[in-house]
Amino acid sequence: MSMFGGLEISASGLTAERLRMDVVAENLANAQTTRGVDGQPYRRKEVILQEAPGSFGASLSAAMGGGANHPGGGVQVAGIVEDPTPSKRIYDPGHPDADAEGYVSMPNVDTVSEMVDLISASRAYEANVTAMQAAKQMFSRTLELLR
Amino acid sequence: MLFDTTQLALERAIGGAGKRHEALAANIANANTPGYQRLDVDFHGALASAISRGEESKIALERLSFNPARDAAAGATRADGSTVDIDSEAAKLAENALEQQAAVQVAHARINILKSAMGLG
Repeated sequence: MSMFGGLEISASGLTAERLRMDVVAENLANAQTTRGVDGQPYRRKEVILQEAPGSFGASLSAAMGGGANHPGGGVQVAGIVEDPTPSKRIYDPGHPDADAEGYVSMPNVDTVSEMVDLISASRAYEANVTAMQAAKQMFSRTLELLR
Repeated sequence: MLFDTTQLALERAIGGAGKRHEALAANIANANTPGYQRLDVDFHGALASAISRGEESKIALERLSFNPARDAAAGATRADGSTVDIDSEAAKLAENALEQQAAVQVAHARINILKSAMGLG
């Protein structure tokens, strides 16, 4: 049993939520980008989260009869995927990237839903910070037993 | 007796609260993980059953281990099947931290009593 397991678990949450905020920022920054890296309009990206497997120590104690369930090692990023929804098409014949009919393919980024994701990630980040502060307080109080 | 059943139970309660904190922190870290089933540690139940064993309670307490389990009673709170409600997790976390601190203070007070009895206080 690691004494600082609680801190590591909360830290994994902070990393994951920060990455979500980074990806939201990238989506917002590229909301009008008609030329992505592949020459196509930018596609909205999304972070996929999954539960992290427990540490080696936790798995070992579970295997040695400590019960089948052990706390996971927090959260981890399974990958960053592109949103497959079709690009928005707007009529703008003067645009250099307009097709023969005058339509331009714009990124499939909806700024409002990005803002909602941003707030959700930011609140979840704060919740992990709170959990971290509680863990710190618990450890320091326990150390006071030695005084 | 220097370390009686009560002192042992207090120490195990501190350990159990630490384990529960890990489970609750994992729930908060997975607040946005689709399909996640929340974890919890029932250390109160484990402690109560160990203490209720009369003569053997001290041995039972020493052998006690706390295992986090999936909370099957929790219903899905989100459309993606996750059973984590971040507000109730935060409330449980705060409650658990206070409980741990209460146990630490009582254990500390008992140690201080022993110290003054030994003339060290």
